[in-house]
Amino acid sequence: MLKNYFKIAFRNLLKNKIYSFINIAGLAIGMAATILIGLWIYDELNYDSYFKEKDTIAQMFQHESSNNVIGTGPAIPRPLEFAMREEFADNFEHIIMSSWNYSRYIGYGDKNINVTGNFMQEGAVDMLEINVLEGDKNSLEHSNVIMLSKEIATTLFGSENALGKMVKINNEHTVKVTAVYEDLPENNSFNGLKYLMPWKFYVATQEWVKNSKDSWGNNSFQMFAQIKDNTTMETVSSKILDIKKRNAPEEAEFNPEIFLFPMKDWYLRGDWENGVQTGGRIENVWLFGIIGTFILLLACINFINLSTARSEKRATEVGIRKSIGSQRGQLIFQFLTESFLIVCLAFAFAVGIVILSLNGFNNLASKTIEFPWASGLFWILAIVFIFITAVLAGSYPALYLSSFNPVSVLKGTFRAGRYSALPRKILVVTQFTISVALIIATLVVMNQIQHSKDRPAGYDKEGLVQIPVMSSEFTGKQDLMREQFIASGGATYMTTTSSPTTSVWSNRGGYTWEGKPEGFQENFAHTTVHYDFVETLGLKLIKGRGFSRKFATDSNAVILNKTAVKYMQIQDPVGKYISAENPDSDMIPLKIIGVVDDMIVQSPYTPVKQAMYVFESYGNISYYNLRLNPNNSVSKNLELIENTFKTNFPNIPFDYQFVDEEYGQKFRSEERVASLARVFTALAIFISCLGLFGLASFVAEQRTKEIGVRKVLGASISQLWILLSKDFITLVVLALVIASPIAYYVMSGWLQKFPYRTSVGWDVFAIACIGALIITLITVSFQAIRAATANPVKSLRTE
Amino acid sequence: MIQITDLEKFYRTEEVQTIALNKLSFGVKEGEFVAIMGPSGCGKSTLLNILGLLDDPDGGSFKFNGEEVSGYNERKRSELRKHNIGFVFQSFNLIDELTVFENVELPLIYTGVKPAERKKKVEAVLEKMQIMHRRNHFPQQLSGGQQQRVAVARAVVNNPKLILADEPTGNLDSTNGNEVMDLLIDLNEAGTTIIMVTHSEHDAKYSHRIIRMLDGQKVTENILA
Repeated sequence: MLKNYFKIAFRNLLKNKIYSFINIAGLAIGMAATILIGLWIYDELNYDSYFKEKDTIAQMFQHESSNNVIGTGPAIPRPLEFAMREEFADNFEHIIMSSWNYSRYIGYGDKNINVTGNFMQEGAVDMLEINVLEGDKNSLEHSNVIMLSKEIATTLFGSENALGKMVKINNEHTVKVTAVYEDLPENNSFNGLKYLMPWKFYVATQEWVKNSKDSWGNNSFQMFAQIKDNTTMETVSSKILDIKKRNAPEEAEFNPEIFLFPMKDWYLRGDWENGVQTGGRIENVWLFGIIGTFILLLACINFINLSTARSEKRATEVGIRKSIGSQRGQLIFQFLTESFLIVCLAFAFAVGIVILSLNGFNNLASKTIEFPWASGLFWILAIVFIFITAVLAGSYPALYLSSFNPVSVLKGTFRAGRYSALPRKILVVTQFTISVALIIATLVVMNQIQHSKDRPAGYDKEGLVQIPVMSSEFTGKQDLMREQFIASGGATYMTTTSSPTTSVWSNRGGYTWEGKPEGFQENFAHTTVHYDFVETLGLKLIKGRGFSRKFATDSNAVILNKTAVKYMQIQDPVGKYISAENPDSDMIPLKIIGVVDDMIVQSPYTPVKQAMYVFESYGNISYYNLRLNPNNSVSKNLELIENTFKTNFPNIPFDYQFVDEEYGQKFRSEERVASLARVFTALAIFISCLGLFGLASFVAEQRTKEIGVRKVLGASISQLWILLSKDFITLVVLALVIASPIAYYVMSGWLQKFPYRTSVGWDVFAIACIGALIITLITVSFQAIRAATANPVKSLRTE
Repeated sequence: MIQITDLEKFYRTEEVQTIALNKLSFGVKEGEFVAIMGPSGCGKSTLLNILGLLDDPDGGSFKFNGEEVSGYNERKRSELRKHNIGFVFQSFNLIDELTVFENVELPLIYTGVKPAERKKKVEAVLEKMQIMHRRNHFPQQLSGGQQQRVAVARAVVNNPKLILADEPTGNLDSTNGNEVMDLLIDLNEAGTTIIMVTHSEHDAKYSHRIIRMLDGQKVTENILA
């Protein structure tokens, strides 16, 4: 029986090549898109799955409130470690203090490469189950040692044995390579862990770390932990919640709460708003999950529409089968078998499409997804997917076709009923509603990105280069380097800063000033800068002046941004002082010498934070910032700067970043979402049009005789074109009417998450509507005009 | 074998009700060959559809082998049909996508006959219908006469007790028509009951009895043999 069904299905496919192509191609494209989205979602959901103990690993997070706003983050103070070990050690398998992911120069022989990694306490290797390929697994128990990833060991030593080699860290310290570990894959939170050094070494070599032993107010560290199997994250979190408040009463005014943030949430649910976990990348997972389902649905609709539209052609077969004893259930099974066959074929093509497009997709999505040939789970899901699609696409046609009355079919009096085309029309409207809504949504996302890109950055980011200088070799040389860079002709201005231009590395409070409101808990983005800060960055001075060598007192001066002045509620700020709130502090009061326009340093989608730019007096330099000479080409400038750099620091690699490119990185995540959305929207439209094309050709074929008669009676081609196209245009217009308010509602909601946002303008709807109508007309007209220009004699004769 | 009593069938549209069968009664014995004649629209085909359990009567009784079948549900009707009744249509109604062999094989598939036995039975009936040499051809590659032979082969492959033929020669020239009639006679002589709707007096003469209908009623009944 099954063989018979397959046979007839195959022969039907071969007989109706256009319909088969539309059905299979549409389904294959839809399935390919869904598989790609599925692989992407799987990859997202399995971020951090490299770590077998994922469910018991957490990072210590902290809520702190300031002016009734709760901020949440991973930065914790160092003494937390001692309190945690003393009070709650029996809840944990591991408590691991860690630095941030720093880049360091690691040198061996004439090689000196910039590598990112962490300083961590012993136990990190066990907790993260880092696969040590050779050497001492317990290296972190020692001090002057380094563990290297395989990739870095190979880069530094080639085929030589890495173990025992002495390497230079930042040209300052010499340490011994005692272990080499397997490279961590890309899709995990520790993918930047290319080296691991002992926490002990960090404490011993960094004065400020050593001094932070008792400082509960210095949130400059990270702590990871693995809880014991016999407890839960929630239980431990509830125990440790007030640990900081109890141990540091002086911090109680910020209401600090310590809790465990589970590893399984790090990547997908990392957003916090006023102390509440609000989601994160999981929203994109949902978004693309929905888009994937929609695309598959569109492809299934094509299948349903074409199958039912062609029902008259299958009616006789249904009648005959019924007359010789087939029951309705058998016919339903037969048609479902057909749909299963088509879906299987489409799946095979879809796999081909996925393999061919995976590279491009990976580039677009910034992923390293591979086709899961060997994954049993994938193939099981594939079978389930095929079944679901076959049932989804095949059920309605199967029920519809099997319901035909054999008497009228065999008598030849069968005609599809007056309303038989209604479900098809509803499905076409559904298809175009989805497609148009996707077009509108994509346009809004693109507009929002452009809107944020067009937002004035507050400084001139073109022609600005930053050079990381986080090694003690650079200390005290900034004036000399400034002179040399400018003398070389490669730069016109230079300043130094403690953070990159596109980021804030330090936030501080504990200040007071004249007129400070009672109980005000301030928190400023804090950056130390040097002479020519305003000129180098091209900042706009609103009041006062920039730092100047003419004023010796500028060594204790500060420049505020516009938001800070408003935030501090300070009138006529220039000339006033900001001093330490703690009267015992040895901080020299800072004189406000100027106010600059807000510059976007953090997210371009949020308001600019209140910032203070304090004159650098203590050698705290992280970056050289150079304004390139506008009279030279960029490459010439870089050559001059590199030569100057190399002359002074021959052992340090010349690393630099273009500030405008770094700024562009801020849009990367949204741009990636927009690119993916664009591709999938285009696919959705293509699939919908494919279906429309199929239906249009079916209608043209069905009305051949009518067209012939009308032509003979004098109808013009344009009249026939309108006759055949207007039904489809009406459906698409209806879809536009339905899609527009839905898309408006959804996208207005989406925009709410951006404090700095565009609006959903009428132009978006106009573009989507006109676009959809033009695409529809082109799709439908091909068949309409072909039918209208056919020779009527021929069409009438065929009848 | 068949006994219908006061059989009624109406067709309703929004405005009018048409009576297709009007209290029609007659019986058919096993082994009989009955021809039903009458002008277009007199209810012949409706009657045949009801006798073939493809359609439901609106009133009256229909007994098949002594059992009342007019109230049967779809599943029971289909069971009865596939084991007892074969159809031959004017327009052959072969499935275009299946070969001669596969078309004839179809009823056997539905009655659950094993493949090896199916092959044997189909080949036997194709031999009998002298169409074996065309077994792998598709319907559109055959002449009308050949197509009707295939249709007859399909109708008889299950050894039905009853064959319902709806104008079996209507689409054929006289030579092919006569050949098909000869086939039906052979089947009847072998014991199969045949009820044939026809417009052709010539064909009707092959039967044992002619029932003439008008406006859904029986008007005359001629016994020929």
